[in-house]
Amino acid sequence: MRYLRSVAALAAILTVSALQAALISPIAGSLPVSLPAVLVACVALADGAAVGMTFGFIAGLIADLGSSHPAGVLALTWTCLGVVCGMAATARSLREDVLTAATGVALTGAASSVLLAVVHSGGASTWGAIRDLAPCWVVAAALSCALVPLTRAFLNNSALRAAHPVLNEVRVVNRG
Amino acid sequence: MRQLTRRQRIAALALIATALCFLTLDLGGGALRTAHNGVRGALGSLYRGTDGVLGPVRRFVQGIPSAGSNQSRVDVLRHENAVLRGELAAAAADRSTHDQLATLQLAADSTGMRVMPARVIALGPGQGFDWTVTLDAGTADGVRVGQSVTDGDGLVGRVLHADRSSSVVLLCADPGSGVGARDLRTGQIGVATGHGAAGFTFLPLNPAAKIQVGDHLATGPTGSTSYVSDLSVGVVISVRTSADGTTRADVVPTASPTALDLVGVLLAGTDNSTGRVALAPAGSPAGR
Repeated sequence: MRYLRSVAALAAILTVSALQAALISPIAGSLPVSLPAVLVACVALADGAAVGMTFGFIAGLIADLGSSHPAGVLALTWTCLGVVCGMAATARSLREDVLTAATGVALTGAASSVLLAVVHSGGASTWGAIRDLAPCWVVAAALSCALVPLTRAFLNNSALRAAHPVLNEVRVVNRG
Repeated sequence: MRQLTRRQRIAALALIATALCFLTLDLGGGALRTAHNGVRGALGSLYRGTDGVLGPVRRFVQGIPSAGSNQSRVDVLRHENAVLRGELAAAAADRSTHDQLATLQLAADSTGMRVMPARVIALGPGQGFDWTVTLDAGTADGVRVGQSVTDGDGLVGRVLHADRSSSVVLLCADPGSGVGARDLRTGQIGVATGHGAAGFTFLPLNPAAKIQVGDHLATGPTGSTSYVSDLSVGVVISVRTSADGTTRADVVPTASPTALDLVGVLLAGTDNSTGRVALAPAGSPAGR
């Protein structure tokens, strides 16, 4: 089961990375919107912080090593994205998950731009990060609308379901 | 908002520390250069494959915002295309003119006469005949009534009328025109009567003349024809002998009367001191 989940995670990372390079980046232009980041948020919202941070770190590291900026920037920010979205995962409605994912992705994109500006890489600037925040949130929300239900469907599949129930599946009933 | 467990907090801190280590290593030098190159190479192949599939979709989406401006760009490119096609056609026409002038120069060399190049500017009935063309050369260029006209390969006709800047040529393909011709194989003299685009009918003066398919006809010896002698008229393609023993031959013309463009007027005995420069035979001084 764990092996199958790892293979599925790697396939998902490669698929969204390819879609990001071939479709999203050319269309989005200079907007720092990232489909892998949206997937990290969706996975964290569906499976919790532990899975989210691991998935975010691996996806970020692959994206870092495949790009020209210093490795570690996206691994750092997407790990934080996985942690935050995992902490926010409380089995809420689809709409709330979409809004959470979009907000997390937009803030992560801005944080990545600021971090790149700090290390003087890629022509990023703090002002650009602030300026792109709102349009980045809109695009991330649109992508989340498609990815949140898709990720939920995949991770709730019996073949990919976590071996032990994740915390967001535990419902505490107050019998008092 | 849920709290992280202790193990999750430790894991998160470990991952963040690892990411910072990567960042430090990569900023500090080229420690991760090999890893960068390897992952870039692997992802590059993946991206190329994906782009092959999704490229048309991406280009369609990217083209939507500029659909209006693309139309104006298409118009500009169409205009440029038309201009380039025009230049291409002009270049082809220039090459054709060059070839025709070279052929006319050969005609000047072979006849020993100066040849005035002239462009056909009108084609149609005139002067009571059916097959005439109008040339853009006239008396100012040395053109006179009765002079022979050639396309460099064969006989075209003779000048019927000439004014200062243009002249009318009666094509030898005209049904009312007869050309004194000679069979180059047998030397038999006869009259080639025009039949328009169909060519000529050659009627030898000697009814018993042995004309054969493939015989070449040329304008007759000087004095027996109104044309310059030894200009090619055509080739015999069929021979018919009537009941009374008269022989007639069908002749395909050397110079097609329906494809005339640049022709040359053989300036016999005239001077064109005020007009354009004529082609002079090789060895003689070029000029007017």
